[in-house]
Amino acid sequence: MLKRDNQFVLQTETEAPGFRVELRGTTFRLVATGAWTVAEAAILDKELKRLKVPIPPSSEFTGEMDISGIAEIDTAGAWLLQRTASAWQRGGLKTRYAGATDSFRILIEEVHRRGKAERPEIDVVPPLQQFLDTFKTSTASIWRDAVELTSFLGEVSAASVNLVREPWRFRPISFIHHLDHAGLRALPIIFLICFLIGAVVMQQGVVQLTHFGAEPMAVNMVAILSLREVGILLTSIMVAGRSGSAFTAEIGSMKMREEIDAMRTLGIDPIDTLVVPRVAALVVALPLLTFMGDIAALVGGGVMAWIMLGLEPPVYVDKLHEIISFHHFFAGMVKAPFAAIVIALVGCLEGLRVQGSAESLGAHVTSAVVKAIFLVICIDGIFAMFLAGIGL
Amino acid sequence: MIVDDGREVVIRVRELAKSFGNHQIWESLSLDVYRGEILAIVGGSGQGKSVLMRVITGLAQPDSGVVTLFGQDSNSLSSEARLDIEKRWGILFQDGALFSSLTVMQNIQVPMREHLDLPQSMMDDLAFLKLSMVGLPPNAAHKFPSELSGGMRKRAGLARALALDPEIVFLDEPTAGLDPIGATEFDHLIRKLQQTLGLTVYMVTHDLDTIFTVCDRVAVLADRRIVRTGSPTELQHKPDHPWIEEYFCGERARAASPAEERRVVG
Repeated sequence: MLKRDNQFVLQTETEAPGFRVELRGTTFRLVATGAWTVAEAAILDKELKRLKVPIPPSSEFTGEMDISGIAEIDTAGAWLLQRTASAWQRGGLKTRYAGATDSFRILIEEVHRRGKAERPEIDVVPPLQQFLDTFKTSTASIWRDAVELTSFLGEVSAASVNLVREPWRFRPISFIHHLDHAGLRALPIIFLICFLIGAVVMQQGVVQLTHFGAEPMAVNMVAILSLREVGILLTSIMVAGRSGSAFTAEIGSMKMREEIDAMRTLGIDPIDTLVVPRVAALVVALPLLTFMGDIAALVGGGVMAWIMLGLEPPVYVDKLHEIISFHHFFAGMVKAPFAAIVIALVGCLEGLRVQGSAESLGAHVTSAVVKAIFLVICIDGIFAMFLAGIGL
Repeated sequence: MIVDDGREVVIRVRELAKSFGNHQIWESLSLDVYRGEILAIVGGSGQGKSVLMRVITGLAQPDSGVVTLFGQDSNSLSSEARLDIEKRWGILFQDGALFSSLTVMQNIQVPMREHLDLPQSMMDDLAFLKLSMVGLPPNAAHKFPSELSGGMRKRAGLARALALDPEIVFLDEPTAGLDPIGATEFDHLIRKLQQTLGLTVYMVTHDLDTIFTVCDRVAVLADRRIVRTGSPTELQHKPDHPWIEEYFCGERARAASPAEERRVVG
């Protein structure tokens, strides 16, 4: 903001911001007073819009913006003056400024020059069109995702086969690191979640089966459900949320900082160094975690059975022995490595698809988790049908 | 209002101390910023140049010391008074710090929307005006920050800093990351805007070209305080401090001066 006296303006009472229009001789004058700043611009704008453009009776009439009464001015004020002056000009009044100091003049001239720039047109897309466009792109992206994931699976498989032939290229330290992060450190939360869900299922089961007088059957339900579905599903979903997202974030931030490109130029294959150890670690960790999840769910169910049915732990364990056979355990466990491969592949692939910006990293982490969980549930469904088909 | 030596002091910093852990960055730092000048803060890395800007603008707290803004002690300000003061300055962060989910135009209008009650058509006109003043083409208005180059992002950030017509602008390394042509253009832009809008400019910079072309005064941060202030030529001719000598009389400085004929006037 420019002040009339650039150095010292004491905060005395200045005139209120405003203006009046008068006719003196053959000159229409707009006499502006007070502070013409952005803080006052809303009021000034309203008042100026109400002002009619004076119609000159003959061509010798001129216009004048008298700004000698203005104490402060900034671009907003200068723009308002300039808008009014242009309107007068268009109405046939030759308009000039009077009473400007040097600094005011510079600002007003600058605003005058800048105000003439062309405006770009904004393309307004109708909502229906927008909806259709979004629908089209997202449908196309499902197909593209499927193709990319398949080809990525192929790349990683080829790299794994190569590793069998040239085992010294395997990265044991990276493998152990991810085993620790994705496996060991996930243990407490997975144990807790499975324990609680086991207990909840038992409690609900007992309550519902009481209507049939079959509450001891709740133990059968919990035992089989835990081993076949609850253990593997909860574990996979937790691992997808915990480790899948971590893989995307790690690889994605490396991609953002061009570390992946640096690796390629140094002759290091990112699939070998980043993807394979992660996939391998998860393939080992997820079955182990699933096993612990199964145990936790059974323990949770056992605790609830003790509370609600008075089933003491040794009796509960005996009952489990009767109910469970190996194929129930196997039906759950066989899904674990497949879920692990899907989670790790989706996580790494999304990481490698990250572009330069931080927003893109966030978007890909989200989509990695969503896709991984979706695919894990798909796999679960396929296995359920398959295992039912072969009678397990 | 503080008047010193016939000039109004808009920011006065006295006896500032700040440490991070065991590392004391300033012991007793004092600095005055006068109305209407372009002040550059220079100093080696880790001397707390950017931290000083953050302390003055209230983004960081000093351990002790007083910051006086427009004659008011910043420690004793109520939150409304602080808000009023914040409206009187604009800050350009290093990479523009534009909001990524908003277009350039919306970014420029954020301060207007937040603090004022202007009609939309006027905000649009003012935004285009600011855009043009910082030298961006009108078609940049509807782009998102991610679609702009680094130099354009800085200009857009400057336009946002100027949205409310502030009295002071803070610039954090305005020319860092720009190519020499872009950096020179930016220097001229700063000078031009300073003259047009009557701004006080406080900038943190490393760029000797910027210092010699546009800055009125330089304050040197070394030995945990401001060791010297003066015009770039004064510091070059009478360094009086090993760091200043190295900085202003080193190889790069010789390439950046002679100062007189390169200064932008008008």
